[in-house]
Amino acid sequence: MNWLINTLGSSIGKKLLMALTGLGFISFLVGHLAGNLTIYGGKDAFNSYAAHLHALGPFVTAAELGLLLFAVIHVATGAILFYQNLQARPERYKVNKSGGGRTIGSATMPYTGFVVLAFVIFHLLNFHFVDKTHTTIFQIVSEAFASPVYVLIYIVAMVIVALHVSHGFWSAFQSLGANHPKYMPFIMGVSVAVSVIFGIGFGFLPVYISLFS
Amino acid sequence: MQLDAKIPDGPLAEKWDRHRFEMKLVNPANKRKFDIIVVGTGLAGGSASATLAELGYNVKTFCFQDSPRRAHSIAAQGGINAAKNYPNDGDSIWRLFYDTVKGGDFRAREANVHRLAQVSNNIIDHCVAQGIPFAREYGGLLANRSFGGAQVSRTFYARGQTGQQLLLGAYSSLARQIAAGKVTMFPRREMLDVVIVDGQARGIVVRNLISGELETHAAHAVVLATGGYGNVFFLSTNAMGCNVTAAYRAYKKGAFFANPCFTQIHPTCIPVHGTYQSKLTLMSESLRNDGRVWVPKKAGDTRRPADIPEDERDYFLERKYPSFGNLVPRDVASRNAKEQCDMGKGVGETRLAVYLDFADAIRRDGRAVIEKKYGNLFQMYAKITADNPYETPMMIYPAVHYTMGGLWVDYNLMSTVPGLFVLGEANFSDHGANRLGASALMQGLADGYFVIPYTIGGYLAGTPQRAVTTADPAFKAATQAVNGRISKLLSINGHRTVDDFHRELGGIMWDYCGMARTNAGLEVARGLIQNLRAEFWENVKVPGDPGEFNQSLERAGRVADFLEFGELMLIDARARQESCGGHFNEAFQTQENEALRDDENFCHVAAWEFTGEDKEPAFHKEPLVFENVHLTQRSYK
Amino acid sequence: MTKTINLTLKVWRQKGPHVKGKLETYHANNISTDMSFLEMIDVVNEQLTLDGKDPIAFDHDCREGICGSCGAVVNGRPHGPEKGTTLCQLHMRHFSDGDTVVVEPWRSRAFPIIRDLAVDRGVLDKIIQAGGYISVNAGGAQDANAIPIPQEVADKAMDAAACIGCGACVAACPNASAMLFVSAKVSQLALLPQGKPEAARRAIAMLCSADKAGFGNCSNERECEAECPKEISITHIARLNREFFKASFGSSVQ
Repeated sequence: MNWLINTLGSSIGKKLLMALTGLGFISFLVGHLAGNLTIYGGKDAFNSYAAHLHALGPFVTAAELGLLLFAVIHVATGAILFYQNLQARPERYKVNKSGGGRTIGSATMPYTGFVVLAFVIFHLLNFHFVDKTHTTIFQIVSEAFASPVYVLIYIVAMVIVALHVSHGFWSAFQSLGANHPKYMPFIMGVSVAVSVIFGIGFGFLPVYISLFS
Repeated sequence: MQLDAKIPDGPLAEKWDRHRFEMKLVNPANKRKFDIIVVGTGLAGGSASATLAELGYNVKTFCFQDSPRRAHSIAAQGGINAAKNYPNDGDSIWRLFYDTVKGGDFRAREANVHRLAQVSNNIIDHCVAQGIPFAREYGGLLANRSFGGAQVSRTFYARGQTGQQLLLGAYSSLARQIAAGKVTMFPRREMLDVVIVDGQARGIVVRNLISGELETHAAHAVVLATGGYGNVFFLSTNAMGCNVTAAYRAYKKGAFFANPCFTQIHPTCIPVHGTYQSKLTLMSESLRNDGRVWVPKKAGDTRRPADIPEDERDYFLERKYPSFGNLVPRDVASRNAKEQCDMGKGVGETRLAVYLDFADAIRRDGRAVIEKKYGNLFQMYAKITADNPYETPMMIYPAVHYTMGGLWVDYNLMSTVPGLFVLGEANFSDHGANRLGASALMQGLADGYFVIPYTIGGYLAGTPQRAVTTADPAFKAATQAVNGRISKLLSINGHRTVDDFHRELGGIMWDYCGMARTNAGLEVARGLIQNLRAEFWENVKVPGDPGEFNQSLERAGRVADFLEFGELMLIDARARQESCGGHFNEAFQTQENEALRDDENFCHVAAWEFTGEDKEPAFHKEPLVFENVHLTQRSYK
Repeated sequence: MTKTINLTLKVWRQKGPHVKGKLETYHANNISTDMSFLEMIDVVNEQLTLDGKDPIAFDHDCREGICGSCGAVVNGRPHGPEKGTTLCQLHMRHFSDGDTVVVEPWRSRAFPIIRDLAVDRGVLDKIIQAGGYISVNAGGAQDANAIPIPQEVADKAMDAAACIGCGACVAACPNASAMLFVSAKVSQLALLPQGKPEAARRAIAMLCSADKAGFGNCSNERECEAECPKEISITHIARLNREFFKASFGSSVQ
């Protein structure tokens, strides 16, 4: 299995790990967003979505463990990349200017990544690791978003997620070797679309809840 | 000393085969007992290093650049000739041979040129196998284009970067041998002397350009592939680092220098535009496939090119040479451009330029086709001149490009110093008085891939040698001499920079030993060079220390050699009382201003022997015997 | 039309790899706009020499944009502000009178500074030595036309082969990664039928060599293709990635 360690430990191997786990998160977010949209159907719709989800039992646990594993890989690899990349240029340029390749999303990946990690922990502490025996998920959510601070935190976090995804999505395809002159413009387009959908889709939820619940 | 070219007997087409059979061989197990030094990593040096290592020799390779991939062969644009006859247009080994001998104005050795034509096909095969992305037709077969001096399409190319691709091919083979441990690569080393032991070349002294240390290396044979000396003119299409030092040091150690006055002035270069200019840029000759050369019919016509109507333009090459038209050989094209400018018909700010016009080609083939063929050249032109050649004609003027002269070598590519081999542009052997386009790449690779691997074996197998290490006194003596010279250069601390001297030297050479020469001018120039050299050694300012990365010192050593070598060129030019190819003495021309050869008295190679500092070099003659081609006045009409 | 301009230069001066460097200010006066950037430095160096100071060390050779020797970061941009241009082909007409121009060397752990703007790019040779070749000895090749190669494939291979090995991709990359350089060679040889037999070994060996050299990791920032003087596209990096996956997961090469 030495070869596998060598492969995954190489610079392209690390890209592969980032790309696969990243795409995993994006698929998760798609599901997560779809589920969250039930909020627009009202309290009962949302609670019943949560109930259905939890009825899946061991599947949920497996998915959670999978996401946790993905997170560990994504964060650890990202941290290694960040450190190595910093090391690769010990003396920095006195003048920095982009030649036009970089985007805000790409240039801030490690930082937005770190913020997203912090946010995810915060989010889980608030909505996941809470005692749900005497309350419904809708109640928890609406209580939380009654605070404008929470709303603001969530909106900022979702903008940052969108930034992260704007680079991460197409970049994952490039890392996997899927760059073709015919399809790449489409992938780039989808990348922007996905990040906007995530940003607005998730970002508007707290606003909606705080206004209408 | 009688020069013996060691040309094998027998019919021309069989000489090389016969020679390969007759030469002694080094058996495969014994090859690893021989060390070979190769200096230079261009097409000739790179391919020789790789091939000798493939055979099993231990090779040590040196270059002054930071990587062997940067040798100036990389800048060759247009293509490489081979007698493949893929286009089915009448080409053959014999025709390539004949065109090359004729193009060289009958001043090259028949046997060498025929061998070159023979192996030309192997080169293309090998280069394709190396993965060189030559241009191809839609069907996937190799594409060809035409070049000057030929009426067949035999030039293979990779966009306008053929030299780059061929060099990277040789470099990749070299890299493979470095990885295999058969070649030890020494980049950023400049060869400053060759070491002779018992009359044989047994090593070199190099300066490590980073640390400044002098290093010595011993071997059983030394191969120089150090390129041409075009930078004696200061402004040329050569790279800034190209120099004569290695060849000139070898000359001073006993290798004869042959035909130094044969220099090629390339017709399609971007004109000079300022005194600060450091180099000239060539536009590939391939442009003459589709571009039409013209000047206004009226002298002093300063109208914009677009305002000059068709009937007031003189397409002088097409007019004078109807059968070759714009594709006449380089020397002819250059001289004609000069002639037009001398008549006051030159164009552009300096009036030292002629137009190269693509308007007809663009009308005929469409811009897309022209862009595909020459896009990168057009882009380069636009970048340098800020003119758009798709809309306005290019302006071109001749510039020093290649030097046919070089160290004298025999058929085995060995100089007059036993064990010292010279390949590529550094030798004199294949191009006579004028090189045809796309032949330099062919010769460099022929020498490296297919000639030296055989002939060096013949030498090593047939020559008794004693064991020599760098502890030998000859190495110490050579190192001391090099050291002394470096100290002297640094101690002068005068008031003029190295480049300043170089620029003045170049001016003298260009004015008196350039496209047209006169006996009186050549003599004037000798006096000027002698004075300049004397001033150099009293008034040059070379900053810095010997033991560090010191680019001024590198240049100073090269210019010091150019200042001596330039005089040798003048001596050779003065001695050759005829005109031929790139050597045009105004006293010898036909009524139509073409070069007028004197086959009676000058059908020979002039080989010069160093006889001591400030002494006249000794002249040696190698008569050229033409058994297979009939000497004619070249005509491209 | 030719005119002259005056510039303030801030040039990185550093005596050797292990000493501290700093930006020094020089004045470049009466610079013709037809000069190349390197010719402008020549002018400054001539004056420095006459003033008894050390001229600025910089690598350069062909001065026609093909040897890959030259290169410096000019106002934060490798090879300066023009697209698809090497430093030697950058002309002063792209600058204005009175400009301040900051000139720094390529900065990467894998490219130690030799002096001033000259850096040691020897690792790029090492990467090629790891596998950037086709193992064919002189003398054994079949006829050049024996394998037809579609024009489109040859053109794509040529796009990659145009790499001049200058190192601008490394200098431009926010992570100092050499992935564009590695990919150009892997891609060229992977596209051509001649390169296929060794494709797996090559992809793994060249990548390992680059990883060992101390370059950063590619994170698809696309600065390399934006600054590459030969405008080599990151589609070649994607092809390198594919080749590497094929080699790692689909071949027996370790």
